[in-house]
Amino acid sequence: MPSKENDAAAGQAPSVAVGKSLNDEMEITRFSLNFRIQHIVLFTSLIVLGITGLSLMFHDNWLATLIIRLEGGVEIRGLIHRVAAVVLIAGSLYHVFYVMFTEAGHTEFMKLKPGRKDFSDFRQALKFDLGLSDKEPVFEKFDYVQKFQYGGVVVGVATMIFSGFILWFETPSMAVVPKWVIDVTLIVHGYEGLLAFLILFLWHQYNVHLNPTVFPMDRAWLTGRISLKDLKEKHYLEYEEVVRKSQDNE
Amino acid sequence: MSRFILQFCAVALFVFAGVTVCYAQPVDLQKCTICHGKPGHKRIDDSGHVQSLFVDEKILKGSVHAVRACTDCHADVTEIPHRVLPKKVNCTRCHYLGNPVGAPQDVDYQAYLKSVHGRAAANGKKDAPWCQDCHGNHNIKAHTNPGSNIFRDSIPKTCGRCHVDIYAQYRESVHGEALIAKGNQDVPVCTSCHGEHNILAPTDPGSTVYPSHVAEACSHCHAAETIMGKYGIESEQVATYDESFHGIAGKFGSATVANCASCHGVHDIRRPNDPKSSVYIDNIPKTCGRCHEGANINYAKGKIHVDAKKKEAGIVYYVAFAFKWLTILTMIGLIAHIMLDLNKKAKNSRQRKTGQPDA
Repeated sequence: MPSKENDAAAGQAPSVAVGKSLNDEMEITRFSLNFRIQHIVLFTSLIVLGITGLSLMFHDNWLATLIIRLEGGVEIRGLIHRVAAVVLIAGSLYHVFYVMFTEAGHTEFMKLKPGRKDFSDFRQALKFDLGLSDKEPVFEKFDYVQKFQYGGVVVGVATMIFSGFILWFETPSMAVVPKWVIDVTLIVHGYEGLLAFLILFLWHQYNVHLNPTVFPMDRAWLTGRISLKDLKEKHYLEYEEVVRKSQDNE
Repeated sequence: MSRFILQFCAVALFVFAGVTVCYAQPVDLQKCTICHGKPGHKRIDDSGHVQSLFVDEKILKGSVHAVRACTDCHADVTEIPHRVLPKKVNCTRCHYLGNPVGAPQDVDYQAYLKSVHGRAAANGKKDAPWCQDCHGNHNIKAHTNPGSNIFRDSIPKTCGRCHVDIYAQYRESVHGEALIAKGNQDVPVCTSCHGEHNILAPTDPGSTVYPSHVAEACSHCHAAETIMGKYGIESEQVATYDESFHGIAGKFGSATVANCASCHGVHDIRRPNDPKSSVYIDNIPKTCGRCHEGANINYAKGKIHVDAKKKEAGIVYYVAFAFKWLTILTMIGLIAHIMLDLNKKAKNSRQRKTGQPDA
């Protein structure tokens, strides 16, 4: 039996019911409901921010012009962008609170911390992909790609919020900083936004949608569950732990 | 149908009247000059204003209307002395499209009717200009003739007869100074920005100097490398404005956002290194402060018309350059990673099918 979805237990080592042998169809909790809601808030606000922001950055493009007109002009566009920014900021603050002050959040966060193993995993994956080695790296709950993405989102969102505030409150900002700082901030905000958009659009799309093993979509972000079969394939070290726990329980 | 007939009749009548007027027996010039040829001939109107009624025959003979007789234009004068005060001359008696006497006319005239001047005249405003107020009356000459009121160099002075304050500002501006002192033909005169017969109020969205059209008006010269190159002025100012927040908001219809004139001035534009200029470094806080409350000298630290793609932009250029390559290299890395991953998956699936590892 797959473990019942239990938010309190989420983030901790997955528990498997006592006395039953494991099979591939069983599922364990990968993302708690709280975590899934944070993810939805994050990507909803990022999509809105991306559309409104990039349409301003590339305002000469016909599609950007169309989007801005559909949004109701530059002023409404700015308003939508800032409302989404407030949602993102609120979500980010909650996330900081979540990883600092809740056990579930903190446990998950520690699993996302990059370590030496991630670099050797990356090297090993490259070697394996290039046919230089027969040994495929095995991962814990989060592999190096997922850790890199999480780190990228943290750094990117922090940069975007900081630079965004300077631009949002440009008059108070300019009471303190010279104009060229605003110009640099604008460049950083625009290019960082573009970079984040490209990474998410290209890489994250590939990893969770277009990748042949998950196409058309990895449903974990909705159900929060992953089958033992997939766990074994993608996160073997976590799978081993699940097996060990289940044996301990027996 | 009856409306069509009515229109036809009106047009026919108009043409007939025009032909009649233009070919009517002219009154001999001599008769008029008995009085109007005397330099002191004048009249005092009800308000005590003295109006000279002297007409210099030489001036008339030097005009494009040298062959015309007085009554060709002053058609309402039918008796001497005039019992009824002659009315203001109406040029459309001859100057209409398709007139039979070959009086020059083009469609621009129609634009006058819709212009701020034409509408003011139609509304009965006494000092609204008619044709003769700009083109001249007895001294009327072709616009290519340096003696004409509407010869390019003379236009500011002509408009300045009514727009006195604006002419005073223009004369001192970088444009006006170059025109008046040096006879520079590249600088704009009034009509370069405002148009001619079709002049509209700057508050009219159709105007060439309506806030959202100002950048385009300035771009005719300031985006032209051939003109700006002569004076060592950058020709990217309009392009960098278009890329700025001000320019983008303007493009999408904001009428309150800064355009060229908001910072540089309108008729009083001066060189940026002129201490009287609104964009002189010490005046920038005040100029920006008109919109950005509490603006200080920080607004002057850094290039205003900044183009991140140019080395002159300094740190802005280098940050943009670094980000551009960071993005390109990241993308190459990510795509390579995806390709390797796909390759591996293809290999795995082949293995699964054949049950054999690849050789």
